[in-house]
Amino acid sequence: MSNLVEQLLNALALAGLLFLVSAGLSVVFGVLRVVNFAHGVFYMLGAYFGFTAVALSGYFWLALVVAPPVVGVVGALLEASTLRFIYRRDPSYQLLLTFGLALILEESVRILYGNTAKSIDAPLALQGGVALLGTVYPRYRLFLVVLGLAVGVAVWLVLQRTRAGLVIRAVAQNSEMADCLGADVTRVRTLVFGAACALAGLGGVAAAPMTSAYLGMGISVIVDAFVVVVIGGLGSIVGSMAGSLIVGAAQTWGAFYLPEAAMVIIYAVMGALLIFRPWGLFGEEE
Amino acid sequence: MKPRALALVTAGALVALPWVLARYQLSILTDLLIYGLFAMSLDLIIGYTGMVSFGHAAYFGLGAYGSALVLLNFEQPVPVALLAGALLAGVVAAPVAYLSTRATGIYFAMLTLAFAQLLYTVAYKWRDLTGGSDGIAGVPKTTLFWGGPSLATPQAFYLLVTVCVLLSLLACRALVRSPFGRALQAIRENERRFTSLGRDPRPFKLVVFVIAATFAGLAGALFAPFRGFASPEVMFWVLSGQVLMMVVMGGIGTLIGPVLGAMVFILIQEIASSYTEHWMIFTGVVFVLMVIFLPGGLMGLVRGRA
Repeated sequence: MSNLVEQLLNALALAGLLFLVSAGLSVVFGVLRVVNFAHGVFYMLGAYFGFTAVALSGYFWLALVVAPPVVGVVGALLEASTLRFIYRRDPSYQLLLTFGLALILEESVRILYGNTAKSIDAPLALQGGVALLGTVYPRYRLFLVVLGLAVGVAVWLVLQRTRAGLVIRAVAQNSEMADCLGADVTRVRTLVFGAACALAGLGGVAAAPMTSAYLGMGISVIVDAFVVVVIGGLGSIVGSMAGSLIVGAAQTWGAFYLPEAAMVIIYAVMGALLIFRPWGLFGEEE
Repeated sequence: MKPRALALVTAGALVALPWVLARYQLSILTDLLIYGLFAMSLDLIIGYTGMVSFGHAAYFGLGAYGSALVLLNFEQPVPVALLAGALLAGVVAAPVAYLSTRATGIYFAMLTLAFAQLLYTVAYKWRDLTGGSDGIAGVPKTTLFWGGPSLATPQAFYLLVTVCVLLSLLACRALVRSPFGRALQAIRENERRFTSLGRDPRPFKLVVFVIAATFAGLAGALFAPFRGFASPEVMFWVLSGQVLMMVVMGGIGTLIGPVLGAMVFILIQEIASSYTEHWMIFTGVVFVLMVIFLPGGLMGLVRGRA
């Protein structure tokens, strides 16, 4: 029993992190029609900026609040200076442009921070374990579960219940029509891209106490995030949540019961699902 | 100069180069040609059929493993290994193509990525056969045929690669100009219209995917004896992304463009890495600028339609 609870929580914590990354990836696809290959690198930027913020101030909570907006600004600037010019082209060009951006950012981080991994300590309040249903569970992972859930609800509320969310959904549905009706589509795209990068950055700061900040963390997370959004359906927040839970569960239980095949399981799940629903669980048919 | 004359001169120059170039330059040129063939095979899918595959490295890797295993375990002539590698890639690609072509657009790209990662994982985990993360080392360059001349010298192997690449180029050119190739281009231009004319696009997509994978396998099968190893890295998605870049850099839908793109891509990396250890930044900047300012790729520049 206690084992089951522990694994369930592990799956949820992983799902929380995956959601922070995949939500932005999904929204960017919905609004900009761009598969952002560099999205994982913004996750990495978050972790490194978080490290700097903790090193300067000594407060993890401050880093959690300050680093994501900085990542978001970097993302928005890059969108406005490169991606903006090629929206009319074939999707493969946008994929390749973001591939180039990923290379530039990854190498910039290497120049700024060097090759060694940077670790961040979790704040005192989140260190150690907490007794839970007959088991002692690490507090920090519980925090990740709560964070993922809170951000998920917040993003959903913003998109569904605010005026800004209404405009974003309008641009996602038909950008030309939204333009005609007076929405500033160019600005919406830049802000959405920036916000998505900030979310990924938040994921990076949150992951850093567990994984530390290292080069290549963006690359490894982006493939998982791709799987999540493809399972859930590109452009759908609810899909991202469902996909994160499925991938989190597949990885957690896969690693436990079939360690040899853990990596295969997640791709097999994705392949099997797409054969029956090529546009994902909550995506819309093209 | 007329294109035909230019092609003949280029082919002649390629064959004459081993007597001019130093050993190191020749090995780089061999490398360029192998990647050129790899990029060209992807162009069949992207440029002529309009499907973006994001898992093409898997078939390059399958070719490399197939050829490495044949050369190492059975000591057959290199062409036998090439055939084995290319066939292995083609055979494995068939079920992947069958499943992936159910989806279109970005979902097709994601499916090909997923299956490629699956194949990568298999290569990584199947230690007994593939050597796991270490891969297979010490792949020999055997002979041209049973009892025939050895291919162990850089010149001999370079000539083999050149002949393979030129023949593949001719074969792919014939393919895209055939009625089958015309059908592919019709699918690229307007799939819905193709369907409404009473044709089913899926068999065409399936066949071209398998053909492209077979040529990618051939490139991989050349790669393994040339470098002397096959490892999971040659199946990794990073290589799939890079080969996509080569195709776009060269100019999609031109066959020869991706070969040029591959050459420029590798040369940029070689040159940048000789000046700075942070060459990836430089490569990244070149990518971004090329995508924004050279939509037709290098061929677009050559033809004055950039």
